[in-house]
Amino acid sequence: MIQLTELTKKFGDKIAVDHMNMSLNPGQVMGLIGQNGAGKTTTFRMILNFIAPTSGTITWNNQPITQQDKQKIGFLPEERGLYQKLTIEEQVLYFAELHGMRRSDARTALADWLKRLDVVGKATDKVQSLSKGNAQKVQMIAALIFNPELIILDEPFSGLDPVNTSIMMHEIIRMRDQGAMIIFSSHDMDNVTKISDNLTMLKKGQVILQGGVQEIREQFGRTRIYVEGPFTQTELAQLPGVDHITPQGAGFDLVVTDEAVGHDIFNYVTRNGYIPAFSQQPPTLDDIFRQEVAHNA
Amino acid sequence: MPKGLMIVIKQTYRNHFKSRGYWLLVLSPLIFTGITFGVTKMQGNTTPNVAVIGNPAVRQVMMKSEKGLDLKVSAITSAAAATKALDKQTLDGMLTFDTHGATLTTQPKSNKINQEAISSILGNLARTQKAAQYGLTPEQTQALVQPYQLKAVVKQADNRTTNGDNSSMTNYGMAVAIGVITLAVVMWYTSMIATEIANEKSSRIMETLLAATSSNIQYFGKIIGIFALALTHMILYLAAGTLAYIIFKNNAVVTGIAHNFSGITVGFTVYAVCFILVAVALYLVLTAIIASLVNDNSQVQQAVGPVTLLAMIGYFFSYFMTNMPNNIAIKILSYVPFISQSMMPVRLVTKVETWPAGIIALLIAIITLLILAWFGRRIYAKNVLSYSDDKIMSQLIKNIKRRD
Repeated sequence: MIQLTELTKKFGDKIAVDHMNMSLNPGQVMGLIGQNGAGKTTTFRMILNFIAPTSGTITWNNQPITQQDKQKIGFLPEERGLYQKLTIEEQVLYFAELHGMRRSDARTALADWLKRLDVVGKATDKVQSLSKGNAQKVQMIAALIFNPELIILDEPFSGLDPVNTSIMMHEIIRMRDQGAMIIFSSHDMDNVTKISDNLTMLKKGQVILQGGVQEIREQFGRTRIYVEGPFTQTELAQLPGVDHITPQGAGFDLVVTDEAVGHDIFNYVTRNGYIPAFSQQPPTLDDIFRQEVAHNA
Repeated sequence: MPKGLMIVIKQTYRNHFKSRGYWLLVLSPLIFTGITFGVTKMQGNTTPNVAVIGNPAVRQVMMKSEKGLDLKVSAITSAAAATKALDKQTLDGMLTFDTHGATLTTQPKSNKINQEAISSILGNLARTQKAAQYGLTPEQTQALVQPYQLKAVVKQADNRTTNGDNSSMTNYGMAVAIGVITLAVVMWYTSMIATEIANEKSSRIMETLLAATSSNIQYFGKIIGIFALALTHMILYLAAGTLAYIIFKNNAVVTGIAHNFSGITVGFTVYAVCFILVAVALYLVLTAIIASLVNDNSQVQQAVGPVTLLAMIGYFFSYFMTNMPNNIAIKILSYVPFISQSMMPVRLVTKVETWPAGIIALLIAIITLLILAWFGRRIYAKNVLSYSDDKIMSQLIKNIKRRD
């Protein structure tokens, strides 16, 4: 288990990470979300021992992370970097070796990874000949080929098209199912919702939300209603408890002040019988994120 | 040796060894030497062909001295035929005589004729003839024309003497060889290690590398890997030199070089090589430290510039010192790391310094290397993942001052 306790990092007067607590068990995915400069990358850098915490501790199975432990960490940095003049194979084999994997094993595994991630090109192709998406996949392979026990992915989906994003997400889930602990940061709340078991929301270095994705959403109450039917926007806006309303496709998105009014709204919109859609949900992570950012601004 | 260190060394070595750039670096001086040799050979026979007209006695003497004069006396003996041959440019020179002396006529495309040697031999002949006219005996004549003998001898502390001419040539050769080797290796390989580190840092590969290994392993792995490449380079040249010597050992130039270096012992050679290697390692460590401060490849030259300047100081001093061995500044600089490799070996071989002094200078360089490498790993670790807009040298000074 990875445990971050009261982790703090100051750069001069600026507090980058402020008394963060976080734990992660094998087979769990932790999504780290926050605006740029919220402290996500600084947290990763402290776990990887690139920088020392000002205070607090980071432990792996109740022990400080050693150099040997680091070999079991797969890391995909936010700013991607590969040796342009090397071939895919030379590149991946080098990183795999640094993580303690035998070259022959890495070579065998690489063929499988290239196929699974649908990398266009051969293992003998130079990285400089690859498209951005394929280069990103190669970097992902380099970070994961040795089956790391802890995986740190800094913005793993940035710059990827939906198909490649889906491939990457599938691999993250596969690694999780094999028992890896995964921490990743993303600005795409939809992806965070799909693959995270838990999330930590950071703002200016402070943890403002933490817990299971559904649990956090439920904390905000089921205040979002989507309804389709023969109603006008004015008519719905005048219902008690409706804070505001937005047309959405064939229906309307309603934000209500209290989830309890959902029952009354349901009765009203179905008073004449069947309607095509009625859904009462907690706010999305995206909504929560925007709300929290605005709230704490 | 930690496994990670071995992997980084191997990767650094392998990447460069397989690159076209490395082989261009290794082969270009050899190709240049080969081309120069080939061009010289293609020039064909350059021995000048000289006709000696109107003085059979002189002609006979010159024919006997062809080798010393570095010319061939032509079969032509008439002025008309020689003039015609000069016009056709089939003759390089025509030597004619009158009461005042001799005239050497050449044509625009003549091969170079050693006029001093001809003048000397004609002078001797003239003096011999005049001596005969004055009634001197052949022995008296011989004594008269015999040049004054001045033998150059260097008195050594161990009461041995060495041939002065040979010794000074060796000194000069050693100074040039050590200076050139160190400067060339330093310029080639400091640039290589700086580019390697700058590339990994600017492309953010460094973050991926340091996620798996420590900065110490990256730092020492790169230095040792590049050092091994420099060593390979030198071994390849040594092998090429040995092969060239075996093939061309009868060549006049090769014989001359071998003669000049004949006074150098195996012990000294080992010492000089050790000094060069320690110096190269010193420069690589210094460059690795400075390169950790750059943000991207565009700053590589800014980082390497001061290092190569330092190497050039040693190179230039190695020239000055042969003329002023007792200068106190030069004596002190002979012990200063980064410069001593160009000075102390030469001072040692010329017996200006003794072996204990030579060993002390080498030990100072080795200790400096160890301290710099140990100290540098801290600066490297601190900066290799940070990016600053400050100038490289001001960053370096800040790092040296900062203790945390």
